Amino acid sequence: MNATFTMLEMRRITRDWAGMFFTAVLPAFFYLIFGATVSAKDASIGNGNVAMYVMISMAAYGAVTATTSIGGNAAVERQQGWGRQLGLTPLADSSYIAMKALIAMTVAAVPVVLTFTLGVLTGARGSAQAWALSAVLVLVGSSVFALYGLLIGTAFRSEAAVGAAAGTLVIFAFLGNLFIPLSGALLSFAKLTPLYGYAALARYPLTEGFLPDGSRDPLWLPIVNVLAWLAIFGALAVVLVRRGRERQ
Amino acid sequence: MTTSHSSTAGASGAPAVELRSLVKTFPPRRGSHDSEVRAVDGVDLRIEPGEVVAFLGPNGAGKTTTLDMVLGLTDPTSGSAEVFGRRPRQAVVTGSVSAVLQTGGLLRDLTVRETVRMIASTYAVSSPVDEVIDRAGLRSLADRRVSKCSGGEQQRLRFALALLPDPRLLVLDEPTAGMDVSARRDFWDTMHADASAGRTVVFATHYLEEADAFADRIVLIAGGRIVADGTTAEIRAQASGRTVSATLPPGSVAESVARLRVVDGVRDVEERGSRVVVTAADSDAVARLLLLDLGGTDLEIVTAGLEQAFMTLTGDSRDAGVVLAHDEELAR
Repeated sequence: MNATFTMLEMRRITRDWAGMFFTAVLPAFFYLIFGATVSAKDASIGNGNVAMYVMISMAAYGAVTATTSIGGNAAVERQQGWGRQLGLTPLADSSYIAMKALIAMTVAAVPVVLTFTLGVLTGARGSAQAWALSAVLVLVGSSVFALYGLLIGTAFRSEAAVGAAAGTLVIFAFLGNLFIPLSGALLSFAKLTPLYGYAALARYPLTEGFLPDGSRDPLWLPIVNVLAWLAIFGALAVVLVRRGRERQ
Repeated sequence: MTTSHSSTAGASGAPAVELRSLVKTFPPRRGSHDSEVRAVDGVDLRIEPGEVVAFLGPNGAGKTTTLDMVLGLTDPTSGSAEVFGRRPRQAVVTGSVSAVLQTGGLLRDLTVRETVRMIASTYAVSSPVDEVIDRAGLRSLADRRVSKCSGGEQQRLRFALALLPDPRLLVLDEPTAGMDVSARRDFWDTMHADASAGRTVVFATHYLEEADAFADRIVLIAGGRIVADGTTAEIRAQASGRTVSATLPPGSVAESVARLRVVDGVRDVEERGSRVVVTAADSDAVARLLLLDLGGTDLEIVTAGLEQAFMTLTGDSRDAGVVLAHDEELAR
């Protein structure tokens, strides 16, 4: 691990004010609006309350925004010639990936820490186990979306496409039951979308699978959703990266 | 086709670059019916330590692909490439080879100094960051964002990055492409100042003047093959001779062309409307014939330059794509 390299990469990210706003500030703001200030915030859900349910959802949204854009921008900058520049140095691909992963996890932790801190201050309640486990699940699960960013960046080769990919997360977040509680046919469809499993899994330590409409997901459902989307993103990324290499 | 180059340098140790039967093919484009593309089609080349060599050829001749294999950025389809007796990637890892690549490939949101620090951090041992910045003439720009630097300034930054490992072999791939004349001159001035260190330098260009002004040896590449290899003087000699042209009276052109073709030493006769253009070893004889016997007027005699040599050797005068910039006095 190369400290100078990692530190300079981190500095690039902190320079991107717009990116940091969407990653860190917006989810915290959403939590305050949809979680901390609603009348139902103290209603109990599973091992805690509604405020905590919203807090985990928003932290998850922020974390995937971070990993998607970091994964996507890494793909774009490598294809725009930075990959060739790095190919002229002793830096191994594996060290590069390790550094980018560390950075993605670090940046993803920012909205988690911010939203969870606001949660503590504004009355989110849950068991200690639920707090700890959901934080870990939000962070670890967000790495799946680094692959999503990577494949969009590889396919479309532009920073604008990566921005659009981060934008599609808003739609996935609605469908993933992150912003408003879904019900009926829309909920049934939502269970197939990429953010649903990740968010449901992150909330599982709190909800034990219970949904706002009173129904309950068995634990296998979010796990299968996450694994299926991991496989889809992974396979597409491998195909696209390979095709890009052939063309060089 | 390939003329052998007798080198004087580097009896001891491995050559700086050794290419043996190097071939690189690319699959055809998706959806096209073309067969595979042979970008590099059997290149044998040996470059000794201390040489300054120009790869000269039109766009698409295979220069960049060849250099990519020297740098370990691409693997050959067949044949081999060695740098100081090692596999290219090993030579890169140990810092014995580095390169200035074509445009692109910098992070726009870093400053010049940050970029140098970042790349420096990947080497176990590298030259001090500030020293490299000075040598590339970037001191006054060190804190400027890369996105705010001109094309020429960005190219000097790539040059600074290439100096970091203090490489024994420096590869420059079209280092001045897209620069204006003064930026190009600045770049080569910086290069000249550095060349005294006795580094081996290999650069690709499609500017004849650059090859002529900076290289000791020119390797002419066309269609993925080496078509000539030698000093500037040797290349010129291979296609020596002069071009004589004149306007002929109407109606006599065809007959005159036939007479000119059989003159001793005439290599080529071309009709351009009422003018004929004759390439010949003995220009005086041709001039005499044109003026006295054939009624020619407006006679012109031109000595073949390097560009003429290039065209003769690549066998393509119209699509050669080599930039013939007579008005550009480069680097001295």
